[in-house]
Amino acid sequence: MDTARLLPLVVAVPLFGAAVLVACGRRLPRIASDVLGTAFAAATAALTLVLLAGTGGSAAGPGRRGPVEWVGGWRPVDGKGVGIVLVGDPLGVGLAALVSLLVVAVLVYSWRYFAEPPRRHAGSFPALILLFQAGMSGFALTGDLFDAFVFFELMGVVAYALTGFRVEEPKPLQGALAFGVVNSLGGYSTLLGITLLYARTGELGFAPIGRSLDTRAPDALVLAAFVLVTTGLLVKAAAVPFHFWLPDAHAVAPTPVCMLLSGVMVELGVYGVARVHRTVFSGPGGIAQPAFSHALLVIGTGTALLGAVMCWQQRHLKRLLAFSTVAHTGLFLVGVAVLSPEGVSGTALYVLGHAGVKAALFACTGILLDRYSSVDEYELFGRARELPLAGAVFAVGGLALCGLPPFGTGLGKAVAEEAAGHTAGWLPALFVLVSAVTGGAVLRAALRVFAGAGRRPRNGPQSGPETTGEEEPETRGRLGRVPVTMLGVSVALLAAALAVGLAPAVAAGAGRAGALFADGTGYRGAVLDGRAAAAPSFTAPHWSAAGVLLGLLSTALAVALAQVAVRRGPAAGGAAAVLAPLRRLQSGHIGDYVAWTVAGTALLAALALPGIR
Amino acid sequence: MSARGRLGLFLVGAAAFAALFTAACFGLPSFGAEHHPYGERAVRAALGHHTANAIASVNFDLRAFDTLGEESILFAAVLGAVVLLRQTADERRTPPAPAAVHPPVRRFALLTLPVALLIGLYVIAHGQISPGGGFQGGVVAATALHLLYLAADYRALERIRPLALYEIGEAAGEFAYVVTGFAAVLAGSAFLANVLPLGTFATLSSGGTVIVLNAAVGVEVASGVVVLLARFLDQAVEIVLPDDGAGGGRDPGDDNSDDNSDGTDDGTDEEEPT
Repeated sequence: MDTARLLPLVVAVPLFGAAVLVACGRRLPRIASDVLGTAFAAATAALTLVLLAGTGGSAAGPGRRGPVEWVGGWRPVDGKGVGIVLVGDPLGVGLAALVSLLVVAVLVYSWRYFAEPPRRHAGSFPALILLFQAGMSGFALTGDLFDAFVFFELMGVVAYALTGFRVEEPKPLQGALAFGVVNSLGGYSTLLGITLLYARTGELGFAPIGRSLDTRAPDALVLAAFVLVTTGLLVKAAAVPFHFWLPDAHAVAPTPVCMLLSGVMVELGVYGVARVHRTVFSGPGGIAQPAFSHALLVIGTGTALLGAVMCWQQRHLKRLLAFSTVAHTGLFLVGVAVLSPEGVSGTALYVLGHAGVKAALFACTGILLDRYSSVDEYELFGRARELPLAGAVFAVGGLALCGLPPFGTGLGKAVAEEAAGHTAGWLPALFVLVSAVTGGAVLRAALRVFAGAGRRPRNGPQSGPETTGEEEPETRGRLGRVPVTMLGVSVALLAAALAVGLAPAVAAGAGRAGALFADGTGYRGAVLDGRAAAAPSFTAPHWSAAGVLLGLLSTALAVALAQVAVRRGPAAGGAAAVLAPLRRLQSGHIGDYVAWTVAGTALLAALALPGIR
Repeated sequence: MSARGRLGLFLVGAAAFAALFTAACFGLPSFGAEHHPYGERAVRAALGHHTANAIASVNFDLRAFDTLGEESILFAAVLGAVVLLRQTADERRTPPAPAAVHPPVRRFALLTLPVALLIGLYVIAHGQISPGGGFQGGVVAATALHLLYLAADYRALERIRPLALYEIGEAAGEFAYVVTGFAAVLAGSAFLANVLPLGTFATLSSGGTVIVLNAAVGVEVASGVVVLLARFLDQAVEIVLPDDGAGGGRDPGDDNSDDNSDGTDDGTDEEEPT
């Protein structure tokens, strides 16, 4: 069978699994529904890996473009189609594979998790995770703008429900509500943008819209459509000032859900921005490249800096990791903003490494939460000395987050920052600074919690209401022993992040993915004309001396920051006072977040305005 | 942020957005214009597959994959509602007392119920011929059942509504859609391809797989909406906290500013053993 036929199955198999789990979930014992859910997720992961192998050319030469499948067999005639296309180019398939592998890890991690599955609905948690997997994979694979919106909404609906999963407390519901309201606004915005594009072109596919737009000069309608579509995707990506929902949702969502939200869902927002720009708006009828690049650089830089500053100030470990994700999303946005194949392949590697590291860190935080009923850095001071392995994973995860070679995060950061350096000389400094501060915050927490290093912190001026971390455990009572599955998954995730940096095949794959992704004309030709145009040649990302040195520099900086913070204790009254207004913005008030979202749309419009002149 | 600051920020953003959107609207094609590139192609494709209602053809044939996603959104939303509205350990159920119903209301509801149910089923069944289809008809059929709640009371509704069956029905609708897609692959075509005989134009059997997918969605939506409403009604009618209102971890206020939620949290988190 043609591998293209497998593309829709990546979406259909988890949906099938979810239906089976909902129908039989009430009769199955819990372990059976967990095993069944994991089996469906693993089968999907196997499908994506088969597809990924199919997209590969030889390691060094130009790769083939991936398979293209028209669902329902509605192939276009003379470049005009009525159906939906799924495009298995290496970047999309790679993201679907990342989604699926992470879902398998999360399902295994949660085998022993959760106090009680909802009564008479033991299968509901794995079923929701499978629906999440289908939504994210569909979003990564589709070549159709409206179809992308449908899967964007599917992953949203599931994510809101999963965030509010612990209904016994009020906070998860508030976090899920803020998440739902802000992301739904983003969704409406995207839908409105799609209607504008449909009105102008009568097309819904990425490639046909792009071709049709390019027949005339851009005007206000094109700008508005770009701003509206991109706003929804930037909300999902948690870019400043659309990011407020993320820390509030991560602080309250069950830990396995955080692993997925931070590991890959947010990154799919960045992917969406890049994909839509490349296939729809990159031609002469779209938004001029310098304006797009400039807009995304401004937003990305702001996101990275704000995320890093806020990350450093948290003592609630889940919030700390959440802001670290915001900071890294900023770097990913910068990576794709530079519009070079190297920027995309570096970012792809960075995202792969980050997914492993961040999920491993959340997995360790989950272990702390379920053993000590707290995720507060101060309260946990020295208490986790009895968990040396979890401590090692947490500390090594912190180092990997700084971009320490040879982790995948290090290689990705090195390649992306080199590509960014060609655009603006100061951008590599941003990468070094942001990864040092976020990694340093994790190292500081590791030193305090797992080693009891430095002075015992007391509630100082920093203990704002949003930073402390008293939580109910998510497992049945408090854990006596840490289950092998939970610790095993965190070690495996960290090992995977290491493998991303070491395996030349992964780097070569990312290089090919970046080269093909950047070639928007080739994409249109392959989708609409069925032309297997030769893919552009590329050089596989590899370790460079400068990259290794900058990775070591940011790691050394992070270690120094963590050391100083631990020694001095949490005082720093001056700095905290200066940053207090910034912290107050994260108010938990949904009205505030909505106002920022609307203002952000206006900001994006102002930044992209020069692109239609 | 203060209420004033929030309003100011919102107004600035909204004004800029309004200006952009107004300018964009001048770029729209004029009303009633003759250029409908997708519409023309879609109608031709619909007629080619013997589907009289072109919208049903777009939903269940040309863009059937979108509908799979949309059906799954509803499926996920119902599952999410089941999870979020579940009865927690500290909640208990009290059977609701029968309520008196005005005779005119009772007569009206009992009279309308079979008619509404029939219309729902009609709208589902004729989806490929006339305006309608599984989504719309499913909602009509599901809400028709709830006229019994108006006519009699909650317990009468519960008697004609075995929830387990509807939950399985919902999953079966999702299942049937995916399996129809798989079947096309096994028959050697693309996923969700229309592989069945196309039938006679504008009859109940026209359109090939359109009928099958339409029916699957009808079953899913009707069952899903019943389950969804049941969960909300359960919360409203049956499930109560043991000590109504005082504490218990549920903050009835909708204002979720931090001070507020912190006030309640300090109370609930203190049971933590050390």
